[in-house]
Amino acid sequence: MKRSKLLLFITAVMFVFLLGPFLVIIISSFSSNAVMRFPPEGFSLQWYRKVLNIEMFRTTFWMSLKTGLAATLTALVLGVPVAYTNVRYRYPGKNILELFFSSPAIVPGLVIGFSLLRFFIYVARIPVLTGLYLGHTAILFPYTVRVVSASLRNFDRGIEEAAVSLGSSPLHAFFAVVLPNIQSGLVAAFILAFITSFNNVPVSLFLTGPGVATLPIQMLVYMEYYFDPTISALSSILIVLTVIIIQSTEKLLGISKYM
Amino acid sequence: MNRFHFKNTFILLLLPGIIFLIIFFLSPLIFVLMESFKGAEGGISFIRYREVLSDPQFRFVFIRTLKMALIVTPIAVLVGYPSAYFITKLSSAKKSILMSLVILPLMTSPVARTYAWIVILGKYGIINQSLTSLGILREPARLMYTEGAIIVGLLQLFLPIMILTLVSAMENVQDEVEEAALSLGSGKAGCFFRVIVPLSFDGLILGVTLVFTGSITAYVTPAILGGAKVLTLSTLMRQEALVLMNWEGATVIAVIMILTTLVLYNGLRLFKPRTLV
Amino acid sequence: MSFIELTNIDAGYIKGNPVLKGFHLSVERGELVSLLGPSGCGKTTTLRTIAGFILAEKGKVVIGGKDYTFMPPNKRNIGLVFQNYALFPHLSVYENVAYGLKRRKVDKKLLPGKISEVLKLVSLTGFEDRLPAQLSGGQRQRVALARSIVIEPDLLLLDEPLSNLDAKLRDEMRAELSRLQHQLGITMIYVTHDQIEALSLSSRIIVMNEGNIEQIGTPEDIYERPSTPFVARFIGFDNHLSGKLLNKTGDKIVIDIDGVKLESRRKSDHLDSLQAGDLVELYFRPGNVILSHKKNKNSLKADIDYLNYQGNTTQYSLHIGSSNIRAVIPGKPVDGDSGQIYLSIAPDKLIVEKKE
Repeated sequence: MKRSKLLLFITAVMFVFLLGPFLVIIISSFSSNAVMRFPPEGFSLQWYRKVLNIEMFRTTFWMSLKTGLAATLTALVLGVPVAYTNVRYRYPGKNILELFFSSPAIVPGLVIGFSLLRFFIYVARIPVLTGLYLGHTAILFPYTVRVVSASLRNFDRGIEEAAVSLGSSPLHAFFAVVLPNIQSGLVAAFILAFITSFNNVPVSLFLTGPGVATLPIQMLVYMEYYFDPTISALSSILIVLTVIIIQSTEKLLGISKYM
Repeated sequence: MNRFHFKNTFILLLLPGIIFLIIFFLSPLIFVLMESFKGAEGGISFIRYREVLSDPQFRFVFIRTLKMALIVTPIAVLVGYPSAYFITKLSSAKKSILMSLVILPLMTSPVARTYAWIVILGKYGIINQSLTSLGILREPARLMYTEGAIIVGLLQLFLPIMILTLVSAMENVQDEVEEAALSLGSGKAGCFFRVIVPLSFDGLILGVTLVFTGSITAYVTPAILGGAKVLTLSTLMRQEALVLMNWEGATVIAVIMILTTLVLYNGLRLFKPRTLV
Repeated sequence: MSFIELTNIDAGYIKGNPVLKGFHLSVERGELVSLLGPSGCGKTTTLRTIAGFILAEKGKVVIGGKDYTFMPPNKRNIGLVFQNYALFPHLSVYENVAYGLKRRKVDKKLLPGKISEVLKLVSLTGFEDRLPAQLSGGQRQRVALARSIVIEPDLLLLDEPLSNLDAKLRDEMRAELSRLQHQLGITMIYVTHDQIEALSLSSRIIVMNEGNIEQIGTPEDIYERPSTPFVARFIGFDNHLSGKLLNKTGDKIVIDIDGVKLESRRKSDHLDSLQAGDLVELYFRPGNVILSHKKNKNSLKADIDYLNYQGNTTQYSLHIGSSNIRAVIPGKPVDGDSGQIYLSIAPDKLIVEKKE
């Protein structure tokens, strides 16, 4: 019994360490004082008002949203066929190819962003925004492959063969029978990839420029110049949004299985 | 396997992904790699590497980065193992709640997550406020912009990753195996070290790999909690490129970062349970 | 020419390492043929080659006079019933059954009629709107059947269709399959490892082992007159003894087993190859023995290892020399206790095979 109490204690301390800071930041965002003190003096919503009034936050929020959606959808379109071959085909050199497909998740994001900047923006002279979209697509690709593969693996391939034996072409069988049944995997892949893109800093760091910045990059820039609870308020909004997304998707899809 | 007579369809399915990664991922990396070997008058040269590697600041930062990863990883293992074991043993309803709490820090904006530590460790943050008001400190201590601050921030990021990999590894260890060990006379602690740990060893290696390489390449945490005072490889690289406009230096650091991660990533995976048990 | 002809087929999952090598098979129209054998014997490979999911590396597949060898599976008009049903989880029973008809561009107005007819045939009227998850295992297999027969296939392939059902349901479904086959007259190829299913359903059984056909015959042929040691063992002749052939007169054979003479008298066409002096193996079923403490006709002395009373039967574990023997007798154990017992076998229940 003593030992399991020790386990409980370690786990509890661990959770306080992981989640305590989120509580602290939410409390500090309601401070009425511009200097960050804890516990905060007074209560006000002024920092939330300020977040909404700063135009750069609004424009970069939309930029993050658009980049995230475009990159996630592209990564899914590229990743679903690859996931399908992962699960359904055996061919020589498969291990090496799988390693190649997962490499954008292994190579540091900072290096990916930096290389895209050096090669495409300086040498090939493509717009920064395109570089941002491509960089995000590259790092999301392994996520979509992994999550969709996991859900395809749970889908009995006999069902697909039944469709073919009843007269479907393999392509028709995929759209009529496979896709509808891996929906939850697709949604999980979409959510995980989108959040990854929305939160990304390392890849975006080198792929932003005048007029092109994502929300996390803008937050870092803001922090260099100002030190008031505005970022607390913005962070609190993001934390609450994340909690809502995790709670709803964990119940529906068991998203932690795919991490 | 022969499937549907379209034996080579899989190539068509793989092609878009392969082409995308070759153009937009591999070729920029190769370009950067080649650039790093370019001499002042063309040709292949190691001069840029010599410059960077002989720079005392780079050496200092490189060693510091490794050192912090070497501190973060064992702590993540020591705290992660008991926590993961505790979570694995819970009923599935409770487990699901705790797992979603574990992934919360991973899914939250890294800027928001790290910013919280400023509120805690800052000059007027919780710790300094409590210690000065209790009279333990006369004036606020410097906690921010230290290696310790970065380590704390990295732990909050990587403990969840360690726990996730360990939980999924331990879930595969059946309760019966553990009960069998207990019934055969193992104590609970003995059972943990002789049965659970060896059987979840692959998960441990994966967790260690992810945490170690992640700690070395993390950017947001050292950028916010270390700033320009306590540089790591990634913040140094950013500084070289975007502040000092020393593209050659940044390129070399980028290559060194890739090599370090690849070596660690593949090296650590060579460990097999048999070598230890 | 038969309805289905597989000629000289090489087929398998890994190129250059076929499960089936030089394989031949012919099936007549309207037959129900079982492919019987242990897992890995090539029966499923045969089925998948006929269905078109495996492309033969060599040889020819001809069905109804047409060359099917290179025809894609979706162009073959073959019904397929899977062990795990393989119903479309996102479609209702009605939609599942309608799937193949829609692919065949059957007139939409005809669908409801055809579907209700086939659902009636498998006794699932009223279940049209259910999803597969809302059905029991037996009901799911009926849907799978309905789905594959509604397209009026030239041929129905069944891959261990009953093995996921519990024993009682299996009996019911077996009877139902038999009824459907007689009613519809569809040619069926039925893959199973269960000898009872094969014996009770088939007009012919093909016993397979390691990619080869061991024996083809009627259920009675297979059960009573296994022609190879493999088939004998597979079909329940679990016991075997080694001996030497002393003499052969007509179908009467006398064998010497460590000095004891045993007689076998069976009609079999491959006895011709046996000669006096040959080393032979004897096979017999555990249920075909009589145990007694007195010496009997055609009997051997056996040591009792242990026995196990099970109510309506008693199982004995015995050994004769170094051979372990299993015997099952009706009712309670034989009276009297001693470590030894006489085991006698009727001459017509004893198979003799040349030792290989």
